[in-house]
Amino acid sequence: MNTPTDHDRDDLRYAEYVLGVLDAEARAAVEREVRDDPQAAAAVALWQRHLLPLSEDIPAVAPADYVWARLQSELGLTRDIPTPAPTRRRLWDNLPLWRWLGIGASVLAAACLVMLFTAPRPAPTAISAGYMVSSIQQDNGVAGWTATMDIQHARMVVVPATPAAIASNRSPELWLIPPGGKPMALGVIARDKPTTVRLRPDLLANLSAKALLAVSVEPLGGSPTGQPTGPVVAKGAISGT
Amino acid sequence: MSASPAEREELSQILTAAGHGDQGAFTELYRRTSSKLFGVCLRMLRDRGEAEDVLQEIYTTVWRRAESFDPARASAITWLVTLGRNKAIDRLRQHREAPVAAPSIALDLVDGQPTPAANAERSQERQRLERCLDALEPRHKAAVRAAFFSGATYNELAAHCSVPLATMKSWIRRSLIRLRTCLES
Repeated sequence: MNTPTDHDRDDLRYAEYVLGVLDAEARAAVEREVRDDPQAAAAVALWQRHLLPLSEDIPAVAPADYVWARLQSELGLTRDIPTPAPTRRRLWDNLPLWRWLGIGASVLAAACLVMLFTAPRPAPTAISAGYMVSSIQQDNGVAGWTATMDIQHARMVVVPATPAAIASNRSPELWLIPPGGKPMALGVIARDKPTTVRLRPDLLANLSAKALLAVSVEPLGGSPTGQPTGPVVAKGAISGT
Repeated sequence: MSASPAEREELSQILTAAGHGDQGAFTELYRRTSSKLFGVCLRMLRDRGEAEDVLQEIYTTVWRRAESFDPARASAITWLVTLGRNKAIDRLRQHREAPVAAPSIALDLVDGQPTPAANAERSQERQRLERCLDALEPRHKAAVRAAFFSGATYNELAAHCSVPLATMKSWIRRSLIRLRTCLES
């Protein structure tokens, strides 16, 4: 039976929970009560209304573009982040263009495959050929690069399609973004000729249909931090062949 | 949170639609709220990568309707910030061996006195809370603010302020009781 003292003590605990000072165990206890007891849920909600206005003091900080790209990839979303520019919207909605681009990208990917197959290489030791491809699309919907990953030989060939112009003092850098993970640097790629990237074991381990390739604009020579520092200009899902 | 009632209502509808699988609404929700939520996560976790992970968890939860938003109980932004704070605190508690870095609490203890101009932009709720916080002893007010912004436990706060644990608990508990009386009057 709850006495007024119990009630006050519980209410204080709910306030402490909302403020954030409880340890993990005490937090879990409050969360169970909120789930099971409507009165507890109402008391916690009231404290949230009381204390949450403090968060107005916290300045907004724009997250990097690749966070949205990761979310899209994880949740299987097809929409890009909207910008109000009407011209872009029209291009975005242009279905024939999309179809054409899709075919174009596939042709490019096929060309890369031919290139890899015809290149001299030792007799295959694995039964599966193990190739993956990705058409790395720019924000305007045009493929910027096409990547073909040769798992057996642990390499990736990145062929420029029609990459948009980038300032001459900047370099496009390619990233592998595992689902829910941080971007892994694949290195600076060329805009005018194919780039071959060696796939280290940690990169190979993260290549999957759930991972994403993305290109960001970095200072010449690549990101100084090991993580993307500039805007993401192109990204693409990875698929097996 | 200082948005107009019409904006609040709109955001509430967007959040509800996003939770029901509307991709357009979800995208718009991210566009409108991700900077605010990322700011909150970054403030508590003090690490960009961890803040990005928690930001992703927040929107994944919204999309998968793992927790349901009730517009009658909270505004959309309050609900989202609460979800974000809870996920950030859970993550802080997972690193028991590495308690909240002292500088983060120190920062929260000294900063946060807004300029008069910033104060004018605050919501009515925020201004009211500030009046009630101002009625507390300055170091108690500082402890409440530090607790809220850092997500630190009583132990961590006490260690940092070099006061016994019981003292820190008493400061914050007395403050919370006084705040409730003030806010509900």
